[in-house]
Amino acid sequence: MEESNKNARRKFLDKGLKLGFAAALGGIGITKVAQNLNAKPNHSSHEKMELMDTEGNIIEVDTTEVMEVTAKTDPDEKYNVREGIPNRKFVMVVDLAKCKNALACQSACNKHHYITGDNAWIKVYNMQESADTAPYWMPVTCQHCDEPACVTVCPVDATFKRRDGLVLIDNERCIGCRFCMAACPYSIRVFNWSEPDQGEIYVDMDMSHHTPTPEHAGKPSKMGTVDKCDFCPHAIKNNELPHCVTACPNGVFYFGDKYEDTVTNGDETLRLSKLLEDKAGYRYMEALGTQPSVYYLPPTDRLVDFKDGLENYKEYESVAKPE
Amino acid sequence: MKSREQFIQDLAPKKFTKAEKIWLGLLIIVIFAGFLAYVDQVRSGLKVTNLNDYALWGIYISNFVFFIATSFVGAATVAILRLTKNAWRTPLVRIAEIISLAAIIMAGVTIIIDLGRPDRALYTIIYARFQSPITWDVIIIPTYLVAIFFLLYFPLLPDLAILKEFYNKSNPRLSKWYGKLSLNWKGSTVQKALQQKSIKIIAVLVLPLGLILQTIDAWLFSSTYRIGWNSTNFGPYFISGAFVAGVGTLVVTIYMVRKVKGLEDYITDYHFDKLGKFLALACLIYLYFNANEYLMPAYASTVNEEVHLDTLFTGHYSTIFWFVTIGGLVVPVILLMFKKGRKPLAMFWIGILVVLASWWKRYIIVTPTLLHPYLPIQGVPESWRDYFPSLHEWLITGSNLATALLILTLLVRYLPVVAIQRTIDESELENNGQIGES
Amino acid sequence: MKKFNITYFISFVIIISLNFVLGSSNLFAQTKKAKARINVDYVKVMDGEHYLNIKASARINKKTVVVSDIELSILQEFNDEEIEIGTTSTDASGMGKFIINNFEDLQPDSLGVYDLIVSFAGNELFKKSSKDVSFRNADINVEWIVKDSINYVNAKLIDTQMDSAIAEMPLVVQVERLFRPLVIGEDSYETDENGEIEVAIDDDIPGIDGNLDLEVVLSESDDYGSIIAKLAAPIGTVIVEESTFDQRTMWSPRGKTPIFLLALTYSFVFIVWGIFIYLFFNLIRINKS
Repeated sequence: MEESNKNARRKFLDKGLKLGFAAALGGIGITKVAQNLNAKPNHSSHEKMELMDTEGNIIEVDTTEVMEVTAKTDPDEKYNVREGIPNRKFVMVVDLAKCKNALACQSACNKHHYITGDNAWIKVYNMQESADTAPYWMPVTCQHCDEPACVTVCPVDATFKRRDGLVLIDNERCIGCRFCMAACPYSIRVFNWSEPDQGEIYVDMDMSHHTPTPEHAGKPSKMGTVDKCDFCPHAIKNNELPHCVTACPNGVFYFGDKYEDTVTNGDETLRLSKLLEDKAGYRYMEALGTQPSVYYLPPTDRLVDFKDGLENYKEYESVAKPE
Repeated sequence: MKSREQFIQDLAPKKFTKAEKIWLGLLIIVIFAGFLAYVDQVRSGLKVTNLNDYALWGIYISNFVFFIATSFVGAATVAILRLTKNAWRTPLVRIAEIISLAAIIMAGVTIIIDLGRPDRALYTIIYARFQSPITWDVIIIPTYLVAIFFLLYFPLLPDLAILKEFYNKSNPRLSKWYGKLSLNWKGSTVQKALQQKSIKIIAVLVLPLGLILQTIDAWLFSSTYRIGWNSTNFGPYFISGAFVAGVGTLVVTIYMVRKVKGLEDYITDYHFDKLGKFLALACLIYLYFNANEYLMPAYASTVNEEVHLDTLFTGHYSTIFWFVTIGGLVVPVILLMFKKGRKPLAMFWIGILVVLASWWKRYIIVTPTLLHPYLPIQGVPESWRDYFPSLHEWLITGSNLATALLILTLLVRYLPVVAIQRTIDESELENNGQIGES
Repeated sequence: MKKFNITYFISFVIIISLNFVLGSSNLFAQTKKAKARINVDYVKVMDGEHYLNIKASARINKKTVVVSDIELSILQEFNDEEIEIGTTSTDASGMGKFIINNFEDLQPDSLGVYDLIVSFAGNELFKKSSKDVSFRNADINVEWIVKDSINYVNAKLIDTQMDSAIAEMPLVVQVERLFRPLVIGEDSYETDENGEIEVAIDDDIPGIDGNLDLEVVLSESDDYGSIIAKLAAPIGTVIVEESTFDQRTMWSPRGKTPIFLLALTYSFVFIVWGIFIYLFFNLIRINKS
């Protein structure tokens, strides 16, 4: 009697464990299957839906237990990298009345683009038109001109102008002739004269499954090619502002879409046309006819004193070297 | 009066003398040194030069412009002198064509040396953008090269046939090569007709091609906004500059070749006299364009233009600028006004001066403009505010020059530098009291 | 006796001092955990999600740092019971979002208040902590109308449980833009006694095909959390593309070269190289004859 009881118990346990195990596996299987479905979370609760478990059985599952998971699509599939984000025209407004040469923009840009040469892609110039006029700090990025001289002279289509206004560089195409650098009147292009020492960048790219793209310049940089400010398309397409805009502690940079007539520096969001009208915005070296996408607001009613920026001023350095 | 055989004997290429062999050895050493420097550049990048993001073009580009300019001499002497019916050009044209060929080949080599990614040089053809002046250069340079080749080759055919005969016994292998290259030239009516027609065509075609080449070279600079480059004057400025550089090189080369090959009977004081006047004319025309380029802007210039002129007239580059302008143009013109100045040896030294000044002129065109951009040079190391070529750049420059000279030397060794058949024909015509052209 | 007393006294003093020293050193002990401070905001999107925006931070060495990758559980407090309704975690910047999947399942109390708790059980680095968030359910109903050829947006703020209008609450009218929304009119409009606002929309706001994605927002109110009501209205100006991307220009890619350039270069090459081919054949003919 005891023997058979024991056996019965064992059998029961045995069956039970197996069943439980199977159920657990089935449950895990179902959850995994459910996660791969594009089912929408149903607020009208307790609706059931039919799913197949790992053993091929059709079962019914409460819809609240099914979660919508967006499939990982390649964002580049939404638009051609050489054509750009549709329905946008990116512009930047730089308020010279607020700039005090904090250089946070430069460090953020240098960091996020892994810049290791001797020339930063954004530089804050100590400007003074003549001895009688007052000096001011002027940050200069690539102006992403609408009639870019650099693009016109490129012999191999390595630098290109997009529909959304950005001028980018394909460093797999660039032959390093530096004609674009000669043509740019704003001196914003830099050349990789040697193998860029970007440290662990290839390991980082591997780990984050990053494919090099003109939308993230400097990741990686290539010896013998040209680099420049890219207006951070890698951030923009994730709805984030370019790094210089977010880094600036004084709200100097506004960025936005000209078609939407709106620019923001992260805190203030303003209508572009109104901002330019109220503060007499202009473009640098307008007379050259390059049609830049960067507007400057003149340094009137300054919030800061020019001299405050002098202590941060490094005439011969724009990229901090690791010690 | 020389007999036919005498002409051939005089003008046929001779074996290398000991001095020439030493010359070749030196050239090869210099070329090899430059080659090593270039290998280092390919491995380590252009940082082996003293170039930076401001002085982004340096003597590699100066070399390129210099070679392009020098290659104009073929079009100048052959086409221009032909069109103006200057018969004295006969003993000079072959050397001019050879110089052109060597120069245009080296121009192609030099520009690839300047590329940051020479492994992608073919992209200029595969992905060519027709809007870019570099693409126009990529089109015109091979075109001009082929034109110069035809310009050299068609008149060469009878000479090659002569040389085949001449070396038949003494050097059968060489004779066979001459034979092959002479394309079965027998001087038949059909062949002569084809040859004459072809020469007419190519001699006319090479001039506009040469002018286009110089203009596109100029537009590489004047298609930018840079002060000192953004000038409407650049096209004719470069053409006349090429004139000077080309004829100067021709003078120097003619003198050396004449001396080494003993061609005093064929290239006489008369030719030097004429060539001297030709060079003086070239210098005067170039001076005119220099005046347009520098004197007029000094009259009414913007702040940026003033900066540019100051740096040339009195500033950092003034020594080179005045050497190039006075030493390279005014002095030669003055000296060449005198008959004594047009004697062969004097011409040689004037030619050297002109060539040296031509090279430094291209340096003056390229570098000063780059070092005063619109925005002040800030945020970069202090050494970036100036540019002087590095050892690598000098070695590679020397190697480029040596390679050009090597090509020249080899071609002069194996080709008759004075056209044999033409010389014979012309002396016969003279004898018969007819002066015609061939 | 005195000697004895003194010894003991000195030892006593020493022991007390040591305790103080050891005791005060506890304040500097590395093992003391910081408290993870949790901030919670309730957000409701009309005809959309209800969610909690969670931010975790801590004060270490007098500096505020984000607390990332911690597990949080969300519970509803109802009838003195705490029922877990879900979990979430913070990302690398200490932010977390919990979507309340079936809002209808949550029961408000007798006053119509929902009480939720975001709770952190603590880990090796941080002490456990929790944050309460209470809110009432409210709706913003929006529509756009035209009066005297001016476009207006009407919004009404209603307390769902009491079905009554909520007055004197600030509502912001904004249009959705790329990075941040653009506020229309004044910084905020206060609802009247009917819980309504009526805001005139400028007639020169650009939108794709003239469509504007408008929002009326009640931002971080004490009683109702945040409520966002969206409204698509075709009352914007049409955006005209200015890009030269489709045109043949000097700065276009090689596929869009200006015609005159193509014609010029191709004819140059064909003519000149045509002549070269002819000359080449002349060479061949010389060779053959």
